Amino acid sequence: MVRRIASLWSSSIGKKALMSVTGLLLIGFLVLHLVGNLQLFADDGGKSFDAYAAKLKSFGPLLYVAEFGLGALFLAHLALGLRVTFENRAARAQRYALERDRGARSFASATMVVTGVIVLIFLVIHLLDFRLREMAPDGLAAMVVRRLSEPAGALIYVVGVAALGVHLSHAFRSAFQTLGLSGKGWDTPLARLGKAIAIVLGVGFAMFPLVFFSGAKKASHQASLEPARPIHAASDVTTEAIR
Amino acid sequence: MSSSHDTHASHAAAPTHEKKHLALTLHVWRQRAATSEGKFVTYKLDDVSPDMSFLEMLDVLNERLIANGEEPIAFDHDCREGICGACSLTINGQPHGFERETTTCQIHMRRFEDGQTIYIEPFRANAFPVVKDLVVDRGAFDRIIAAGGFITARAGSAPDANALPIAGDVAESAMDAAACIGCGACVASCKNASAMLFVSAKVSHLALLPQGQAERSRRVLAMVEQMDKEGFGNCTNESECEAACPKGISVANIARLNREYLRALACGD
Repeated sequence: MVRRIASLWSSSIGKKALMSVTGLLLIGFLVLHLVGNLQLFADDGGKSFDAYAAKLKSFGPLLYVAEFGLGALFLAHLALGLRVTFENRAARAQRYALERDRGARSFASATMVVTGVIVLIFLVIHLLDFRLREMAPDGLAAMVVRRLSEPAGALIYVVGVAALGVHLSHAFRSAFQTLGLSGKGWDTPLARLGKAIAIVLGVGFAMFPLVFFSGAKKASHQASLEPARPIHAASDVTTEAIR
Repeated sequence: MSSSHDTHASHAAAPTHEKKHLALTLHVWRQRAATSEGKFVTYKLDDVSPDMSFLEMLDVLNERLIANGEEPIAFDHDCREGICGACSLTINGQPHGFERETTTCQIHMRRFEDGQTIYIEPFRANAFPVVKDLVVDRGAFDRIIAAGGFITARAGSAPDANALPIAGDVAESAMDAAACIGCGACVASCKNASAMLFVSAKVSHLALLPQGQAERSRRVLAMVEQMDKEGFGNCTNESECEAACPKGISVANIARLNREYLRALACGD
């Protein structure tokens, strides 16, 4: 029994199965994350988003457990991905002088490790931006809007989520294939669902930097005409609630 | 008898049907032995008949090399009918060349153009070490089969036909998987040098049929373990193997192999 569990980590199919399960769970998290973030678009000066953040904070130790779980999923997926990549490179020490594929590969499938590493770098920046930094006095929503209004911030977030979208467009279908949950009649619907998920998550997350960056440009244009408005008192109240 | 003679005569009487011979530049991988350094050697052929098969073109080149006192090019071949899996070669970067579902021995020179340059390399994978020139050792496949690619059956007289009913679609799927000739093009075309398509074809073929049930779990565990030991890469589901397979083995078999393996880990004996 122990040997069988160990072969999940050591055998080629076991490794890929673990990558698939961790990857699919991470997709599940991304869906929840996107739904939560949609509150940033509420026209209430960030009140509902800050209240949502406060609600999450109020779970206390449970939140840390959830974050630890997510971190473990991500690290396991990353470690397995890198290991598989290195093993696969090593399996052909002498490369072909001339190599031509037959068009079955896609851009996404051929660049999984590249898009994966871009997502990793993006994730580190993202956590430093909003999770590992002290909360601004005017609340999380204001922090997010400020960051995504900067040209550099907007660019980093668009590139990060674009890489995520490309990664997912191969990942979802591939995970089902690895888990043996494809075959007759299921391949096309799964491939389509995978593409749809990649587009919804990629475009969905990209909306935030695009909207706030273009909005900031408009706002700064207006600001040059009108004096800047003071920060709403209401957001100070929410900040208190979070603390 | 007389009609076949007529056909022959009419061919001879129509010299305009004769196709133009080809001039080709070949860059062929030459390697004296497994441990020696290999390199490309360039050969020029200026009278290649378009009716020759690719291997016959190499035969002609080898006759010339032998006549000149040079070492002929070593390459694998056997049936030359596209059914044995012995021939290999990577032709212009593609295992078995560019034609779909075609082995190297079934490619004809009429598919090439006059003046074309052709790169000929061995299949490349750590698990398939070069023995000499274009010949690689595909013994890894044999060891995978020995690990579990068999059934336990009563030896003796052949069983009665249809004594064991098998549903038509199951028989079809098993037969499609059994079409694998074990040539290794899947490994050669995979960017990870993975043997998953080969192993999946062999596991599927036996797991689908009632005769394969006794060893079903042990087989898949043992064959995958041997596959990993041989140093093949991991599958990343890019399906290049399916596109390169001369027998058109589907990656649906890989999904079945994954299913069989995970099932055996979870509830095998």
